[in-house]
Amino acid sequence: MTSSTLQQSDEMKSGVRLRAFLLRQEVVLFLMMMIAIFILTLGSDKFLTLDNLLNQGRFLTEIALVALPMTFIIITGGIDLSVGSIMGLCAIVLGYMWNPTGPFQWPLELAVAFSLLVGVLCGLVNGLIIVRIGVPPLITTLATLALYRGLAEGISQARSVRNYPEYFYELGQGTLLGVPTQLWMVLVFVIITAIILSRTIFGRSLYAIGNNELGARFSGIPVGLYTIMIYAFSGLMSGIAAWVFVSRVTTTRSDMGTGLELDAIAAVVLGGTSIFGGSGSIVGTVIGLVLIQLLKNGLALSGVTTDGTIVVIGTVLILAILINNYIQRRASAVE
Amino acid sequence: MNRKLLVALLLGVVMVLSFSLALPVAAQDRWDGADDLPVNPLDCPMAEGEAMPEATEEAPMDMPAYDGGQPTNAPDLAGQPIVLVDVPKLVGIGYFAATTLGQAQAAEELGNVTVTTDAPTEANIDDQIAVIDNYITQGVNGILFAANDPVAIAPVLTRALESGIHVVGYDANSEPGAREWFVNQAEFNGIGKAMVDSMVAEIGADGSFAIVTSTFTTPNQARWIAEMQAYQEKCYPELTWLETVEAQEDNVLSFNQATTLINKYGEELDGIFGMTSVATPAAAEAVVQAGLCAVDAANAAAGSPEAAVAVVGLATPNAMKPYVTGDNAGCVKSVVLWNPVDLGYAAVYVMRAVVDGTLKPGDATVEAGRLGTLSVVNGSEVLLGPPFIYTKDNIDGFDF
Amino acid sequence: MTATAARSHIHRDNLLTRSLSFLSSQEVILFFVLVGLIVLVGTSNPRYVAERNFINILNGNAYIAVAAIGMSMVIISRNIDISVGSLIGVLGTLSGSLAINGYPIWMSWVVPVLAGALVGAVIGFLVAYLRIPSIVVTLGLLSILKGGLITITGGAWITDLPKDYFLAQIKTPPVSLLGLNLPEIPSPIVFMIVLTILAALWMRYSMTGRAIYAVGGNAEAARLSGISEKRIIMTVFIINGLTVGIAAVLWATQLSIIQSTVPAGLELQVITSAVVGGVSILGGIGTTVGAMLAAILLSAINSALVFIDVSPYWFRAVVGVLILFTVLVDLLRRQRSRASARG
Repeated sequence: MTSSTLQQSDEMKSGVRLRAFLLRQEVVLFLMMMIAIFILTLGSDKFLTLDNLLNQGRFLTEIALVALPMTFIIITGGIDLSVGSIMGLCAIVLGYMWNPTGPFQWPLELAVAFSLLVGVLCGLVNGLIIVRIGVPPLITTLATLALYRGLAEGISQARSVRNYPEYFYELGQGTLLGVPTQLWMVLVFVIITAIILSRTIFGRSLYAIGNNELGARFSGIPVGLYTIMIYAFSGLMSGIAAWVFVSRVTTTRSDMGTGLELDAIAAVVLGGTSIFGGSGSIVGTVIGLVLIQLLKNGLALSGVTTDGTIVVIGTVLILAILINNYIQRRASAVE
Repeated sequence: MNRKLLVALLLGVVMVLSFSLALPVAAQDRWDGADDLPVNPLDCPMAEGEAMPEATEEAPMDMPAYDGGQPTNAPDLAGQPIVLVDVPKLVGIGYFAATTLGQAQAAEELGNVTVTTDAPTEANIDDQIAVIDNYITQGVNGILFAANDPVAIAPVLTRALESGIHVVGYDANSEPGAREWFVNQAEFNGIGKAMVDSMVAEIGADGSFAIVTSTFTTPNQARWIAEMQAYQEKCYPELTWLETVEAQEDNVLSFNQATTLINKYGEELDGIFGMTSVATPAAAEAVVQAGLCAVDAANAAAGSPEAAVAVVGLATPNAMKPYVTGDNAGCVKSVVLWNPVDLGYAAVYVMRAVVDGTLKPGDATVEAGRLGTLSVVNGSEVLLGPPFIYTKDNIDGFDF
Repeated sequence: MTATAARSHIHRDNLLTRSLSFLSSQEVILFFVLVGLIVLVGTSNPRYVAERNFINILNGNAYIAVAAIGMSMVIISRNIDISVGSLIGVLGTLSGSLAINGYPIWMSWVVPVLAGALVGAVIGFLVAYLRIPSIVVTLGLLSILKGGLITITGGAWITDLPKDYFLAQIKTPPVSLLGLNLPEIPSPIVFMIVLTILAALWMRYSMTGRAIYAVGGNAEAARLSGISEKRIIMTVFIINGLTVGIAAVLWATQLSIIQSTVPAGLELQVITSAVVGGVSILGGIGTTVGAMLAAILLSAINSALVFIDVSPYWFRAVVGVLILFTVLVDLLRRQRSRASARG
C-alpha cells in the first residue's frame, strides 16, 4: 500500500510525467469502454442508437452529479458515504417545504433553493466534523449516513409528497435541443469540475493534500478550508441530484438515494482515481460512469437479467483496476 | 483543543435543538404505519351462521368508469405469440417467486406467451424504473409490474404505453392512468376485515395486539393497516392497538422486533399481526422461541392460557407450515393471503385478453383459465377474489 | 490519510500514552454507556432489564458481533471489507442448501465457514499480492455475490430445514453456580463471547496478532522490522472470512426460513460496530472487545427505542447521533491522555 503511494509520489515529481501517467490510465479505460461497446452492440441492435444512449443519460445523472465531488474528495484521501442520505433528506425537505397541504406551503422555487441550502449545510457539517474535530471521513460520513437518513424519515413521517406542477417535471423528463434536460446540467458540471481540478491552484492543492497532507499544510495550503469546501460542494451536488430525481420520478420518499454512495464510489475508482488519494481525474470518472451505465443498459438489452448484470459489473470493476494496475506498473518499470 | 471542544458542543446543541423541534411534531402522530387515504371498512360479521355472501356486498357499489390508460398504436397481435416481461418489486423473496411460478403456468397453458421475470435485488424505485426502461427499448409486447411506488413508476409506464406496449399491473398498483389494468389480489378493506376477524377469533374482541410491518413507506402495507384500523374501530372498539414496528424485508430483524414486543408488553400482548410474508413467519418463530404458543400454554399445567400470543398475518404457506401443521403445529391458526401463484397466473391471462381484444375498457368480466371468470372493479381493476385464509385443514394442499 | 496516520503513530508509540489509553479505553466507556442506557430504560420500564429481554439484547446482534471480530482486524490492518453483508447471505444460503439436500448437519455448519475462509483468501490475495485496494475488491465482490445469489437461488427461500439444523437455537443447559441459577444461554451469545475473547488474546499476545497492529499503524516500519505485510494482510482476510462464515451459520440457523435476499445494510452494521467499538479507520488501534460491546449497544438501543416509545421514524437519526457521540468521546479522551502524557 505505502509502496504504491511512494511510487505515485515519485511520479508526481514532474508535472509532465504526471500528465503522461494520467493520460495512460484514461486511455486504457477508454479502450476498455470501446471493447465493451463493441461487444454490447453485437448483443443487441437497439443498443448503439442515439435515442437509447441519450435516454441512458437520464439514469446516469444523479450518480454523475455526486460522483464529480466524490472524485475531489477521494483525491484528497477522504470519502463521503453520506451522499445518498443527503439526497434523501434534500428530496424530503423539498417536498415538505412545498407541500400545499403541509405546514409551510412555500413556493416551489423557494423550496428547491432551501433544499439545496440544506444539502450544503449537511456537507458543511461533514466537513466541520472531519476538519475541526478530527474524526476520520469514513466514520464521520458513516454516522451522518444514518443521521441524515433518519432526519429524512423523521421529517417525512413516511409520507410522500406528490402532484408537483407540470413545469417542474421539465428538468427530469423534458428535453432541450433534443437532449435530456438534466444531461446539459451534467455536462456543465463536468466541464466546471474538470477545469477546477486540472487548471486551478485549488484543484492542484487537492492532489497535494491527498499525497501528503502534512506536506501540503507546510507548503501553505489551507487544508482545512479546502476540505470543508469540497464536502460542502458534495452536499450541494447531492441536493441538486435530489432536485433532478424528484423531477424525474414525480414524488418524494425518504428512502430515495439509498445505496447511491456505492454507485458513485464505484464509478470514481473505476475511473482510475486512487482510493488512497493523490491521483485521479474527472475524465476518468466520466468514463467510469459511462462504462457502468452502458454495461447496465447493454447487458439488459442483450437479455441478461439484473442479477447477472450486477455480477458482470462487479467483475469488470475488479478486472479493470487489476489490468490498469498491471499496465501502470509495467509502464513505470520501463521508465 | 478548546476550539475543537467548542465546535463539538455547538454541533451537539444543533442536533439536540433539531431533535427537540422535531419530536413534538412526531409525538402528536400515532406511528401506527397507516396512510392518510380515505378508508372504506366492510360490514361487521353477522351473527353466527348467516355470513353475508361476498357478492351482495359489492353489488350495491356503483361501477366507476374505466380510468386506465391505453397504448398508442399497439400492433394487433391477437392470437399471435407475444413476449412479456414481468417486473416485480424485487427478486429474492418467496412471494414473488410464487407469482413468477403462476405466470409460467399460464404461459405454458396458453402456449403463445413467453414471459421472463427481471427485477432489482432490492425494492428500490430507481432500479425498478431502469429495468422497465431497458425493456421498453428492447421492445417487448407487454409489461407486467408490481410497483415499488405508485407515483414514481408512472412516468416510465406512461412511456411504455406511448411506445405501444401493453401494461398490466398486479400486487402493487401504479396511478391508474399509467397502466391499462391492475389485477387486484384482494381489496384492501377485504384484507383488513379478514385479518382483524381472524385475530378476534383467537384473542377475543377485547384483546391487545401489535403489528410488525416492513416499512411505513410501503404503500400496500400502509393501506392495509389503515383499513384494519377503520374496521377495528367500527366493529371491535374494545380491541387495544398497542403499536406498530418496522422490520424492513428482513427476517432476523422481524424476529428481533417481534421478540422485543413480546418482552415489552408481557401478558398484555395477546396477538401479533405480521404485515408481510417475511414478518409473519419471523413473528411466529419469536412466539415459539419465547414459549408462548397457544398449544404450549395449554399443555403447561401451571401456565395460564392468557399468556399465549396469537400470530395472524400475510404469508406464503410453505413458510408457515411449521407453525400450522409442522413441528410447532397450532402456534398459528390462520394465515391470510390470496394465492400468489393464482395472482401471477391471472396477470398473464389478463394481458393475453388485453392483447387479443377480449378485455376492453368498460367490460365487466374477463376469462382467466382455471380461475374461471374474474370481475372488474373500481373501473380498471380485475379482482382475483376474496382473500384466502389458510388453516391447518387446507395449508398442506399448497406448495409455494 | 497517510500523514495523519503516521503522525498519530508517533504519539501512540509513547509507552505512557499507550498504557493510559488502555486504562481509559473505548471499551470501558462503551461499557458505561451500555450500563447507563440499561439503567435509564430499565427504571422507566423494568421489563427492559428482565432476564428474557436481556438475553435477547445480547442475542439479537450476536452474529453481527462475530462478523465484527474479523472486520476489526481488517480495519486495524488499514483495510476494509464492504462485502460482508452479501457474503453472509451467500454462505447462509450455502449452509441451508447443504442441509436440505441431505448432507450431514455438521457439514452444513462447517462447509460455509471453510468457504468463507476461501473467499477471504481470494480477497487477501487480490489486496496483498495484486495490490488492488480492499475497498475496490470488496465493492466488486459485493455486487458479484449479491447478483450471483439471486442467479443461483432464483429468489426462492429455503424452507423445510431438518430439525437438528438450528445451531443458533441451541441453548446451554441451566447451571447452578454458587447458589445462583444461571439462565439458559443461546449459543450465539456463547460464540460471540468466546470468539471475541480468543481473538482479543490472540491479537494482544501472539506475534501475528501484534504484527496486524504494526502493519496498520505503520506499514513501512513494520516491513523494516521484518514483518511480511503481504502475509499479514492475507491472514487477516482469511480470519475475516472465517468469522463471516460463523456469523453466516448463526444467521441462517436462527429461524425456520433462510431468505435469499441479502439483509440490506448489514455490512454497515458490522463496520459501525467495529468503529464505534474504537477500531480506528486509520489503522493500528482498537480491539475486538470494543466491537462486541458496540454491537450489543446497537442491539440495546434498538430494543430501548421500542420500550421507551420513541417514534421509529427517528431510529436511524438516533443511531447516527450515537456513533458521532461515541467517536467524539473517544477523540476527546485520546486528546486528554495525549496531553497528560506530554505534560
